[in-house]
Amino acid sequence: MRDAELAIGVHHPRPVKDWLLAAPYDWRAALAVLLIALALIWSGNRMEVGKMLGLTGEAVLSAVGVQESSQVGRGLGRMLGALFPFAIEDRQELARLPELDRNALPMFTRIESAEVTTFRMNPDTLKAEPQVAVKEYLVHPFGYLIKVLGKMVETFEIAIWATIISVILSIPLAILGARNYAPNRFAYSASRGVVSFLRAMPELIIAMFLVLGFGFGAIAGYLALGLHGAGFLGKFYAEDIEAADRKPQEALTALGAGKLRVLRAAVLPQVAPSYVAYTLYILDRNVRMAAVIGLVGAGGIGQELKGRYDTFEYGHVGTILLVIFLTVFVLDQISARLRARLIG
Amino acid sequence: MSVAAILSAAQAIGGGVPAHLSFRDLRKIYADGVAALDGVSANVGKGEFCVVLGPSGSGKSTLLRVVNGLTDLTSGTMTLSDTALSPKTLRGIRRRVAMVHQQFNLVERASVASNVLAGAVAEVPSWRALLGWYPDHLRDRACEVIARVGLDEIHLPRRAAALSGGQQQRVGIARALLLRPEVILADEPVASLDPAISREVLGLLREAAREQGATVLCSLHQTDLAREFADRIIGMRKGRVVFDGAPHLFDAAAEGRLYEGLTAPVGQSAYQEKAYA
Repeated sequence: MRDAELAIGVHHPRPVKDWLLAAPYDWRAALAVLLIALALIWSGNRMEVGKMLGLTGEAVLSAVGVQESSQVGRGLGRMLGALFPFAIEDRQELARLPELDRNALPMFTRIESAEVTTFRMNPDTLKAEPQVAVKEYLVHPFGYLIKVLGKMVETFEIAIWATIISVILSIPLAILGARNYAPNRFAYSASRGVVSFLRAMPELIIAMFLVLGFGFGAIAGYLALGLHGAGFLGKFYAEDIEAADRKPQEALTALGAGKLRVLRAAVLPQVAPSYVAYTLYILDRNVRMAAVIGLVGAGGIGQELKGRYDTFEYGHVGTILLVIFLTVFVLDQISARLRARLIG
Repeated sequence: MSVAAILSAAQAIGGGVPAHLSFRDLRKIYADGVAALDGVSANVGKGEFCVVLGPSGSGKSTLLRVVNGLTDLTSGTMTLSDTALSPKTLRGIRRRVAMVHQQFNLVERASVASNVLAGAVAEVPSWRALLGWYPDHLRDRACEVIARVGLDEIHLPRRAAALSGGQQQRVGIARALLLRPEVILADEPVASLDPAISREVLGLLREAAREQGATVLCSLHQTDLAREFADRIIGMRKGRVVFDGAPHLFDAAAEGRLYEGLTAPVGQSAYQEKAYA
């Protein structure tokens, strides 16, 4: 019947050569590009992007030997040079270990002696004179590395507990903050508000406050990271619940299931892969942030990092940075595999 | 009361089949003013395979959806056995009434087994629902219904998305059969399937329901399938019942009342109709 309609021209289709196919870009797109370009030029001036490019260019040129030296190159070079060699061993002055039995040293340790020159005021001449003393050290060849690895384990524990707290807090926040599962508008707005607030507060600041309450140490660290992570997970979990396919949800509602059961049986299987991905990302992020958050005294490797940085022991700083990098790298490999298996 | 309603009441009484579902003057007016149900009255006997037939927009889906309260009535009463549908009885009625959907409505990522078991999610204690840990008798029952719909042990762990359309609807039917419902609502169960598979699936639905003594209310838009499978046809047009009777009474005149003036091809299977759309 349709064919007949078309044939007698009820439809009046236009000849193909007159068809209008919308252009992929129009004047609005062009205007938007222009405005963004102007905004970037304005902001680029404020942010000294030109200077950044100039200095970076100089540094690159001096690094490849075209130019004598550059300000940035000198600064960074000094810093990077100080990081090497990484401090691996641990040495303690023997004089401070009065209980040590020289004939039964701890495993792998040895005693080294070194000449230390100190300047002392000579009471006769009233001049500072160099005095050479021999000091003995108990040296553990991997002592510092082991200590840093121990701190890294602690940091990882902080990250794990922070992730657990984020997940537990974000589940009710996500259910209340999903438009189609919130019991009422008030709960929805309240939940979204809490989630935005948690995400907006930088974890470093939350940690500083919590250190005041809980004291220095890991508790403040994992609570701060957990709260911030809940802000992230609460938002993403909620948005996935909203976007989940409605058809199976209707099927289970029709069988008499309540909202929570529908969530469990029809929504959770749909959103599980992305939940795993978000949660692994938060774990990864928590490991990195746990290293930073120690700067304000919230436990973990960051506390060690700040201590060594403040006493100019850059070799030790280098070791810490290396261990953090290796941990993040290994974690990334593991989580990629885990995700592939679970999402498959 | 319309002539058709009297006819159906007479048939229900005359045939000696007690009414299982009864519709009294159902009206549903949507927010945009469309009257999807405009005074529908009918009885469906226990164990009947009753096809609700009509073109798109005739209100047949709405009629099915008011039975389990997925759509609220504007006025009228729906009664299942002796229970009138109300907000109080809604949950109870939903547990006695299963539904088979046009788009299958499975969780595509989940396995066949967990899709079927999800049919019991309203029946098990909360902690079991939460863990997805169904008791043994339900697990056994799930295997039983999966076998009944013609699937095999190898299908149990497969994802629903990996199955063909016909197989997915078999899973949908298995989920509906799981708890031995009194009534099965089938909302255009074969509209997404090709004609040969449609016949298999409808035949399966009819036989499986008959074995359990379940009443089936099945909406279709293909007159050929309705004639072939129905014990009884309720024909709808613009929210009203325009035919109610046995399939052999559904003649050309009755078909005309359903479809006259519509440009959609009549008596074609969905597969062919889609090619026009």
